[in-house]
Amino acid sequence: MLGKKGFFSAILAVAGLLLTGCGDGSADNKKTVIELVHYKQEAVDYFEEVERQFNDTHDDIELKISSPNDAMTVLKTRFIRKDNPDIIGIGGDYDYSNFIDADMLMDVSDFDGLKDIKENYLEINENLEFIPTEGTYGVPYMANAAGILYNKDMFEEHGWQIPETWDELIALCEDIKAEGILPFYMGYKDTWTCISPWNSAASCLTEPTVCKDVNKGNTTFSKEYATVAEQMKTLLEYGPKDFAAYSYNDACTAFARGESAMFMIGSYAVPQIKSVNPDLNIDSFVYPASNNKEDNILTSGIDLQFCIMKDCPNKEAAYEVLRFLLEDENVQAYMDDQNAIPCKEGSFQLAPMLDGMKEYIEESKVTDFQDHFYPSEMAANALIQTYLLDGDTEKFLQKFDEAWVRYNRDLIEKVQKYEAEHESEGE
Amino acid sequence: MQDNSMGGMKIAKKRQRVKLSARSRTFLLITIPIVALFFTFNTLPLIQGVVYSFTNFRGFGSYDWVGLRNYVDLFQDARVGSSYLFTFKLAVVTTIIVNVVSLILAMALNSKIKFKSALRGMYFLPNVLGGLVVGYIFNYFFTYILPEVVKMFGAEGTSMLADSKTAWIAIALVCAWQSIAMNTIIYISGLQTVPVDVYEAGSLDGATGWTKFRHLTFPLILPFFTINLVLCMKNFLMVFDQIMSLTKGGPAQSTESISYLIYNNGMSGGQFGFQSANAVLFFVVIVVISVLQMGFLGKKEEQL
Amino acid sequence: MKEKKNIGVTILLILGLVTILFPLYMAIVIAFKQPSEMTNSVSGILSLPARWSLDNFREAMRVTDFWHSLGNSLFITLATIALSIVVHSLIGYVLGRSKAKNKAYNVVYLYLVSGMFVPFAILMMPLVKQTANMGLANEFGVILLYTVFYLPMNTMLYSGYLTNLPIALEEAACVDGASTWKTYWTIIFPNMRPMHATVAILTALGTWNDVMTPLVIMSGDKNTLPLAQLNFQSQFGTNYNLAFASYLLALLPIIIFYIICQKQIIAGVANGAVK
Repeated sequence: MLGKKGFFSAILAVAGLLLTGCGDGSADNKKTVIELVHYKQEAVDYFEEVERQFNDTHDDIELKISSPNDAMTVLKTRFIRKDNPDIIGIGGDYDYSNFIDADMLMDVSDFDGLKDIKENYLEINENLEFIPTEGTYGVPYMANAAGILYNKDMFEEHGWQIPETWDELIALCEDIKAEGILPFYMGYKDTWTCISPWNSAASCLTEPTVCKDVNKGNTTFSKEYATVAEQMKTLLEYGPKDFAAYSYNDACTAFARGESAMFMIGSYAVPQIKSVNPDLNIDSFVYPASNNKEDNILTSGIDLQFCIMKDCPNKEAAYEVLRFLLEDENVQAYMDDQNAIPCKEGSFQLAPMLDGMKEYIEESKVTDFQDHFYPSEMAANALIQTYLLDGDTEKFLQKFDEAWVRYNRDLIEKVQKYEAEHESEGE
Repeated sequence: MQDNSMGGMKIAKKRQRVKLSARSRTFLLITIPIVALFFTFNTLPLIQGVVYSFTNFRGFGSYDWVGLRNYVDLFQDARVGSSYLFTFKLAVVTTIIVNVVSLILAMALNSKIKFKSALRGMYFLPNVLGGLVVGYIFNYFFTYILPEVVKMFGAEGTSMLADSKTAWIAIALVCAWQSIAMNTIIYISGLQTVPVDVYEAGSLDGATGWTKFRHLTFPLILPFFTINLVLCMKNFLMVFDQIMSLTKGGPAQSTESISYLIYNNGMSGGQFGFQSANAVLFFVVIVVISVLQMGFLGKKEEQL
Repeated sequence: MKEKKNIGVTILLILGLVTILFPLYMAIVIAFKQPSEMTNSVSGILSLPARWSLDNFREAMRVTDFWHSLGNSLFITLATIALSIVVHSLIGYVLGRSKAKNKAYNVVYLYLVSGMFVPFAILMMPLVKQTANMGLANEFGVILLYTVFYLPMNTMLYSGYLTNLPIALEEAACVDGASTWKTYWTIIFPNMRPMHATVAILTALGTWNDVMTPLVIMSGDKNTLPLAQLNFQSQFGTNYNLAFASYLLALLPIIIFYIICQKQIIAGVANGAVK
């Protein structure tokens, strides 16, 4: 009769829970509890260390950091049940824009640590707001960069030079191909990997505000993305024939094993590559989309930033946590752990595989990933994959424009309303 | 005498009625709380979901009422349309594969063979594995092993998952691989209900092979066929895990199943309101199909 | 009586086992390898690992906090099975006995069974909110939800099975003056044992491998085994070797369970199908 017993004990347990409710016992605790939930599950070791050190050095604040699996789903379900953490660590992407739009984040303009954050990353954040919103809602922490990773030993062995223009890149690819080596490995089965070269090309060839301009009705993607789309197609000639057969993981493995000379992906792929071949000598360079060297710019976006939830009752304590995270040695520790790029000013030691991008990073010649403006449900990367499989540029661009309008309908309405109001105000 | 016995029956009936009403009370006492529980955790959230389907809710933050806009959009959205086509194609084909193979396998496993229970046990194994794990394993198979095998026969080999014409077949095969086990067992149990003397009578009439199956075996296991058909259709129409682990909707968006779209755009993306409408439509569609299936097959059963 | 065995069919069936065992072989081999042993070729995937080391399994157990996750998974699955057997058999019994004679019960039956077709995605968000409001955003909530999710299917199975149990069985007890409640527990419930096995298996298979419900309801507080598997997949890297080792570990309990009660399972599933 285990069944019967289990049944009644479960009922009792449920009843007990209903009676006690979900009161948190923190009331009798003098310490202020700050809960931080972030989405960088891979950096869990770093955050555990931060949590320990912070709690060792702070008597009045207790920091709780959680690094859940599938953090965005977890966060969204917590929002639904109004069980918001105090600080969230998210990327500078469409979700962030949405959270601002939904008025869920606190204005942190008065946070003293902001003065140490690089101006261009603050601008990137500013630009992510759907409609210009007063205030600052995120403290950029780490950035990533996308470009082209290359096999340094292979390049040195053959005497290949780093290309600085589009024509040079194509010439290099021809050289590599002539040697019987595959220039690029592509893992386009995972559609998000298509977006990496796409972003790089788009940053060099279009204005960073292109999505906003489309929303305002000033231009179309058919006009703006034509060259970007053509480049994507051209590059296929230098990749594996069945580029849609391989996943990101397969591509990392292949590149790690020296099956290709280059790999168009972000710096975040390095740990995965190194896990297959720890001895591989990897460096990177900026994707040279334009034939005008000046136009070529590094694609770099906010990979991790901290936002304080609007209903956080202990703003000062939350700021204290942010200050701690932004201490130089903690920033450096994160960089070492994740090969990341700091958003904070200062002399930090970049990971060696970022050497080729160093100049751009230090001079802040960077611009955001354009897919940070694409709503995920639009599946822009799947549209790109579809296009690469069938090759019809015109059809693709038209589809892109249609999908954009379809998935951004409410937003476009909002933006145009805002524009109209502001024009009349201006007059 | 007669009167007496009549009276006796009446009393017995009366007593029975009292008993029955006590029985009905017990039945009600059991039914009401369970139905209440079901209502609270199934119907109530369903109603809320239906309410969301009239909004532009993103899943968080504020939202507006949009009336029937989501439903109008549903019928104009090409992506939703192709997800229904894909899902139905997959469900029908996989259901056929599964039932044909299961039936053959069941007859084999039910015949006079050696190692009967060991073999039955082994063939049930795929059913224990989760959909995601199976997907990951088969990913390797389709990406690396199958193309090599094809090449050995001299043909051009590429991953089935990389071509929008073949990816759905790969998914159908994986789904079938996993569900054949359960259906086979259901058929085995069906075959065991076929009395031996039916066969003996059949053999006397000279029925063999296909004729025997067509006219003797199949009609007798028709109820099991119905169950398998309905369960298969329902499960495959709701396919999700295999899509997530094999193709994530690709290549070229050719394998986006309805459930995948609902989860991906509704939960991960910001289309919660719209995908709620999609889920409502999907629910109606599945119920209608299942009812039709059961009705049709039920009639068949009666005819026989 | 000695029967003549059909050797031909036996051989065919044994050959057919390749389709079952080959994928499993792949999983096991990958689970034992190191990432550096992985190559993108047939030999890289099928070759045996350089050495049979349990390191991957040890590491997987550490990352998934195996014993805790296992405990949570076991608790949730066992509690769900227990609740399902009690609750679903009761309602299955009531409906099975009444739906033919009583229209109202037939409606209830159809109402409950139609729940089988509700896509989980539409229930998810409202349920997240609702369980939180009721203080059920924890493993008890998950158990309760599973009990409701499997109710349609199991009700159908139980009420179907009842047609195999002659009504005379309980009428005899009734005449002896036993209450319906008591009759149920002493006569009907034990007699439905084969069906309990079926329900236990089907429910266990469904709950053990489920990721979504614990993910959204418990929101990261506690891990179940399948939830812990997500540890191996961040967007920018998946360690398939660890992941497969971990999958095999997560499968182990259910395979053991399966081996132990293989006979009952197969008999049970078979019973379930009898309309």
